[in-house]
Amino acid sequence: MTFSGALTLTDLNDFITPSQACIKPVEEIKPKNGQKEKEPGAAASEIMIDGSGAYYEVSQDGGGTSGAGRRLEQAQISLNDCLACSGCITSAESVLITLQSHEEVLKFLESNSKEEEAKRKIPVVSIAPQALASLAAAVSASSSSSAPITAQQILRRLRVFLKQTLGFAHVFDTTFARELALREHVKEFLERRDKARRQAESGKENQEPSGQGHFLPMLASACPGWICYAEKTHAEMIPFIANTKSPQQIMGTLVKEWMGKKWGKRPDDIYHVCVMPCYDKKLEASRSDFYNELYSTRDVDCVVTTGELDVVLRDKGWDLSIPVDGEMDIEHELLPELITHPGTSSGSYLHAIINHLKKISEKPLEISVKQIRNADYEEYELREEGGRVVFKGAKCYGFRNLQNVVRKVGRESGVRVGMGAAGKLGGRVMRKKDKEEGQNQRIEYIEVMACPSGCVNGGGQLKAVGGGEWGEGEVRWGNREWTKRVEEMYWSSGNDAEQSSELLREIDEAELGLRTSYRAVESNVVGLAVKW
Amino acid sequence: MSMDEDFPYSLQQIAELGGHEERAWHVAWNPKRPILASCSADKSVRLYTYREDGEGKLNVSFLTSIPTGHTKTVRALAWAPSGTTLATASFDSNVGIWEQEPDDDGEPGEWECAGTLEGHETECKGVAYSSSGTLLASCSRDKTVWVWEVVPDSEFECMGVMMEHTQDVKCVAWHPKEEILASASYDDTIKIYVDDPQDDWYCVSTLSGHESTVWSLAWSPNGNYLASASDDRTVRIWRRVGQHDFKCVLALQGHERTVYSVTWGIGKGQQEEGYLGWIASAGGDGTIRVWELKETSASEPPSHRMLTRLPDAHGVYDINSVVWCPRTGYEDLLASAGDDGVVRVWKIAPVTV
Repeated sequence: MTFSGALTLTDLNDFITPSQACIKPVEEIKPKNGQKEKEPGAAASEIMIDGSGAYYEVSQDGGGTSGAGRRLEQAQISLNDCLACSGCITSAESVLITLQSHEEVLKFLESNSKEEEAKRKIPVVSIAPQALASLAAAVSASSSSSAPITAQQILRRLRVFLKQTLGFAHVFDTTFARELALREHVKEFLERRDKARRQAESGKENQEPSGQGHFLPMLASACPGWICYAEKTHAEMIPFIANTKSPQQIMGTLVKEWMGKKWGKRPDDIYHVCVMPCYDKKLEASRSDFYNELYSTRDVDCVVTTGELDVVLRDKGWDLSIPVDGEMDIEHELLPELITHPGTSSGSYLHAIINHLKKISEKPLEISVKQIRNADYEEYELREEGGRVVFKGAKCYGFRNLQNVVRKVGRESGVRVGMGAAGKLGGRVMRKKDKEEGQNQRIEYIEVMACPSGCVNGGGQLKAVGGGEWGEGEVRWGNREWTKRVEEMYWSSGNDAEQSSELLREIDEAELGLRTSYRAVESNVVGLAVKW
Repeated sequence: MSMDEDFPYSLQQIAELGGHEERAWHVAWNPKRPILASCSADKSVRLYTYREDGEGKLNVSFLTSIPTGHTKTVRALAWAPSGTTLATASFDSNVGIWEQEPDDDGEPGEWECAGTLEGHETECKGVAYSSSGTLLASCSRDKTVWVWEVVPDSEFECMGVMMEHTQDVKCVAWHPKEEILASASYDDTIKIYVDDPQDDWYCVSTLSGHESTVWSLAWSPNGNYLASASDDRTVRIWRRVGQHDFKCVLALQGHERTVYSVTWGIGKGQQEEGYLGWIASAGGDGTIRVWELKETSASEPPSHRMLTRLPDAHGVYDINSVVWCPRTGYEDLLASAGDDGVVRVWKIAPVTV
């Protein structure tokens, strides 16, 4: 019996656990000089550390040449290096936490307030409605008063806190940005459907070598967890993902470009913080696509989670259960407040499309919903009276259902699923019986979210309050009940979008960029495939 | 090592099956048909058949090999309870599903890939079918355990991804009757999973006690016990004391190195009250050990006696896997796979003086 000569680490045995350390190679630029190549293995220099912690390379072969030696560059791993690498999650997270945290925000606000007035940036904060719902549920659960506190009241109370105590100039919620996102999303869906139909008519089917021909089903783009996962492990899904920016990033564009112009400020004159139900929104904000090279600034400078905002509230001793003056008044601060989008608490992307299709249809359309296993996976059908299905869409939440979406989309569109280290099983492949697929209306849109129950149950949200009430010892059930509570609070208040039509026209005319793009991240965990 | 004659049983080698070009990792007996499958770092699966000749002697012969197409080691195998489908777990991170398409005469033809399960990020280490055959579990160095539902047409739907272990997951094993899954890990623990009424899989309990990596798991045929093999050189026996509660009641000692594999069969012992069947274990010390377990009372640990011990079963090489044959009438057959690339079939029989 012979062992192969080209053993790889992974094939050797299964004892080795993955290295948790960063594997990014450190590049060193060698100074060019006329020195001869040294014997391999011969020590060329020593590294010295001075009092300030700086590293110096001290040459040995010069035989005690004077000199403090050459100061060495510190190897730096930026957040973007981490994001571009699937080597480890841990380093990326720790870098993130230091780069985008509530402490960072407080530090900025403090130093900003000390600047002379002309140099001061305008601090702006935008809060996601799911974050408001989480706070509303927590405050309602812990306060003695029987009447629940609505998301709108929370927003008003936060506005006072964020302006008066922390010094923010403006406090928005992100629902108006979402209104723009939904409009753009519907527009993109119609474009894609049009392209897919034209392609089908020209007989080419949905396939072009470049993969650019994969228009449908369109997959939602608002969830950064899903985007990250797709870019790292399912590049074949990228053409299907909507190019419409998420509400957070549209808010970024609105604040830095549109409002900036209104205020006569440059994008880098504004410091924009978003409060989100989700840690991965930090990743989204730091994508290079949302970095303005010209002004060296991001559309969203810093993302903090609901939980982090809660920590700040506690640290500053602010009690959200205490009403503020005029919190029930109608109030407009440049943007309309808390626009509701009926449908799902994760943004109603699917419902925006359904509602639009219903609106433009000449015949009345009926909607039917089919739950597949549980509430996290539902299929929606729009049909004309008497039969014909004109649209099929789905909402699909949670990592597990996401797997099934990837398999389903891969199967129906004929793209190969999986990439990277995962080998393809070649050899004999069984022919699958031809099914009636194709006869049926295929799913044209999927609202994909990485968290079970969607954004109200995001990783950055507050944990269940009042253990006993939610089932002591049965944390699992408690959490589900809690999520339901947050969901209720989410729908507790809000306004119709129609009132803002004039503003929408104005923004249309500003022609802001509402689209973005994605790219596959190649796995470069070479350490595991090292040839011995 | 000359003590072997003191044991009431002995292991006799029925067949030595070469053919793998690199180490053999795992063996799996088809539960319905006379087929034994083995897999190897050479990325292939080899299938053998066995039958008794007129004189009661068992002949094992090579059937076919499947050049799986996995790009790395095939680490583990699992037959569906129907015996018609074979699943392969590979270091290339995928699970392969293999079936025989009928040939022109309607007879089972060549083994072909009927599907792949992708999702693990790194080496897939184990795969197992539930007793009903409707669920399949896999585990990986990526620390996750996945549960898939088998739907018609060799399709699969992901039912759950459990990220409970803090390290490499070495093995998954389904309860012989209920939909309860156990997993073993480099983090020294065993985890137990069930699904809730909404079809979500979650971890209900963590079994701690082993002092090092847990490599292999085997449920007792009656489902009331779980055996675990560990790098701490013990095989621990966990009794099910509640719906989802398990308690370590026994640690079988004796192995001098890591125990890589444990298997629990019905055996051919005396089927008296409290009889729990036969446990075989093997690992880095190259010795196969066989115990018989009996339940004495609900409060006492089961009694155990060593039936036999066979050193150097694969020469100087490590033994990666031992598995009892589950088929009626063949409960005394044990298969082993070793670092020598060889698969061996053993028969355990009482020592006659």
